[in-house]
Amino acid sequence: MNSISLSQETYTQRLWRHFHADKFALNGLRIVILLFIVAALAPFLANSHALIRVADGHVSFPIFLSLEPIEWRFLLYVPLAGLVYFFRHRFIAHPGIFILAVIGFIAAVEIFLALTHPINDPTNDRDRPASFKLLPPIPYSPIESTPDQFSPPTWKHLCGTDSTGRDIAARMLHGARTSLSIGFVAQSIALTIGIALGGLAGYYRSWLDIGICRFIEVMDCFPPLLFILVAISLFESQNNMFYIMAVIGLTSWTGVARLVRGEFLRLSSLPFTLAAKAIGANDFRIIVRHLLPNALGPILVAGTFGVASAILIESSLSFLGFGMQAPTPSWGDILSDARRYIDFAWWLAFFPGLAILITIMSYNFVGEGLRDAVDPRLKMK
Amino acid sequence: MTMPLLQVENLGIHFGPTVDPVKAVDGISFSMQAGETLAVVGESGSGKSVTALALTRLLASPPARYVSGSIAFEGRDVLQLREGELRSLRGKQIAYIFQEPGSSLNPVFTIGYQIREAIELHRPEVRDVTAEIVHALDTVGIRNPASRLGDYPHQLSGGMQQRVMIAMALACQPKLLVADEPTTALDVTIQKQIMDLLKDLKRTSNMSILLITHNFGLVAGFADRVVVMFRGKIVETGPTAQVLQNPQHPYTKALIECVPKLGQKQHRLKVIDYAGIQ
Ligand SMILES: Nc1ncnc2c1ncn2[C@@H]1O[C@H](COP(=O)(O)OP(=O)(O)OP(=O)(O)O)[C@@H](O)[C@H]1O
Ligand SMILES: [Mg+2]
Repeated sequence: MNSISLSQETYTQRLWRHFHADKFALNGLRIVILLFIVAALAPFLANSHALIRVADGHVSFPIFLSLEPIEWRFLLYVPLAGLVYFFRHRFIAHPGIFILAVIGFIAAVEIFLALTHPINDPTNDRDRPASFKLLPPIPYSPIESTPDQFSPPTWKHLCGTDSTGRDIAARMLHGARTSLSIGFVAQSIALTIGIALGGLAGYYRSWLDIGICRFIEVMDCFPPLLFILVAISLFESQNNMFYIMAVIGLTSWTGVARLVRGEFLRLSSLPFTLAAKAIGANDFRIIVRHLLPNALGPILVAGTFGVASAILIESSLSFLGFGMQAPTPSWGDILSDARRYIDFAWWLAFFPGLAILITIMSYNFVGEGLRDAVDPRLKMK
Repeated sequence: MTMPLLQVENLGIHFGPTVDPVKAVDGISFSMQAGETLAVVGESGSGKSVTALALTRLLASPPARYVSGSIAFEGRDVLQLREGELRSLRGKQIAYIFQEPGSSLNPVFTIGYQIREAIELHRPEVRDVTAEIVHALDTVGIRNPASRLGDYPHQLSGGMQQRVMIAMALACQPKLLVADEPTTALDVTIQKQIMDLLKDLKRTSNMSILLITHNFGLVAGFADRVVVMFRGKIVETGPTAQVLQNPQHPYTKALIECVPKLGQKQHRLKVIDYAGIQ
């Protein structure tokens, strides 16, 4: 072992070295990243509109005209985030110019979206004549009913079709967006609440700790799924995606809160917290800049597992029929369709089931890899 | 006579139940002039750290109870200050270095970042913060300071960690430096280096130093005056030379005898005979 080079590496470098040595975790991370890319590009992978269409000497890009505002945002803001990250060092050097540029870009996009409307063209480019057309790899939209009902997997419909002739492959690709973004956003909400409440309890202790702990215990008394079902049936009229995200997030923060509380109890009795106080740091600064970074490892681990369980909860909800509104595709929704036709249409259950299994497993491998990397003592070698 | 920098009057701090409390500090009084070096000596548990932390009310209350007395720093009673006023007192006026340098530094940040935080908190007027950090590290005798800014605490030796702690304290340019057993966790040669560094600082700046220790060996040649604490009370106080040569209280005598002397043959380490003190 080269102990000199080891002692020179930073915390993140050490984390990455351990994570990198764990083949399961690394491949899990690769699959998760792949899933995110697929989800981001879903409209271009499965769509009944052509990417490029030439007819009567006229060139058009039907896919772009049919994109919903949310898809435009996804398309433009994700690269923007990438750019900001890539140029972060210059960003720090010239914050004013960069913030202006970013705000300008966002404003331009939003004005553009406010002024234009997606063309809701029900015709599909598969059957429309054109002198040239470039169709996406799966030339079906997720909500479009084709005449082939209950088609088993064929070259035409890679994962078969359902009772109304919708292409399962297209629904799976678009469903990936639903599942992944629900997992991500719901868990972000849970992390925010969990870190805030757990941090306050662990740092201030005494009556605040008692109050928050009792609140956590009350929350934990309800089986989470039951809790969510009640919450959803109370506001049945609005079960859109953001509502589901919020409900899952608001009911699954207790684990994170317990974890953060424990970490903060431990960290705040260490001498460096006293030292931070002794140079005149206020409570907010101590919590956010001294304690939180020290607790980040375990929080990251919990967050990763949490994303997996949020995806599972969403699938269960859709399966039970409490999920997304009808046309929005999600994996659980396809599964719930499969319930009725399972005796002959095995593909309806097989593909979404496989997708959920792979996603959950990948997230769990990543979580376990992170956990081992954060605490190398757990991994006896 | 000018107003003392620090005037502690009949300070009492209790822990535990109100009936029959732990009297960690039991009615002590002492004062320090600007530029003076005072040593507080006493065995483990005698209330030295509690006294030190109370100076900027760092002891959370509860569990601590400030039951009596006053702590006047430049004439203002610390016990009456509001939280915001306390924060501008901590670090800026009274800075601390603690016993365990390793765990007093935040493990996930570089030392440069931690010193920067201290400067940004208390000296917003500083233009070139990096130069100021390098200067602080240079002052405490870290060689090649510019190249060490990106080091994490675990990459430094215990002695260097304590130097960084001192640099952090100095970066705020405090009037009073409270050193709570700054060398107890270090080995003997490093102990001497750190004490020499503190001596240098004392000579080159007008900063007052409150040295807390259980070791009379560190006091000679360092402190101007000594306060001896025993079970929360001050049992003896006076100029260092006088206390060392002619200790009045049996506890002080016992403490002085505990210091092993070089070249002197000792068959057994001395232990304090409490029965004789009571
Ligand atoms: N948070 C606390 N809760 C209860 N009792 C405390 C607390 N802190 C200190 N004490 C009590 O106060 C007394 C004095 O403790 P203090 O830490 O000041 O000793 P010290 O002189 O600094 O000893 P050492 O040389 O070991 O550092 C001890 O008897 C201890 O039990
Ligand atoms: Mg102590």
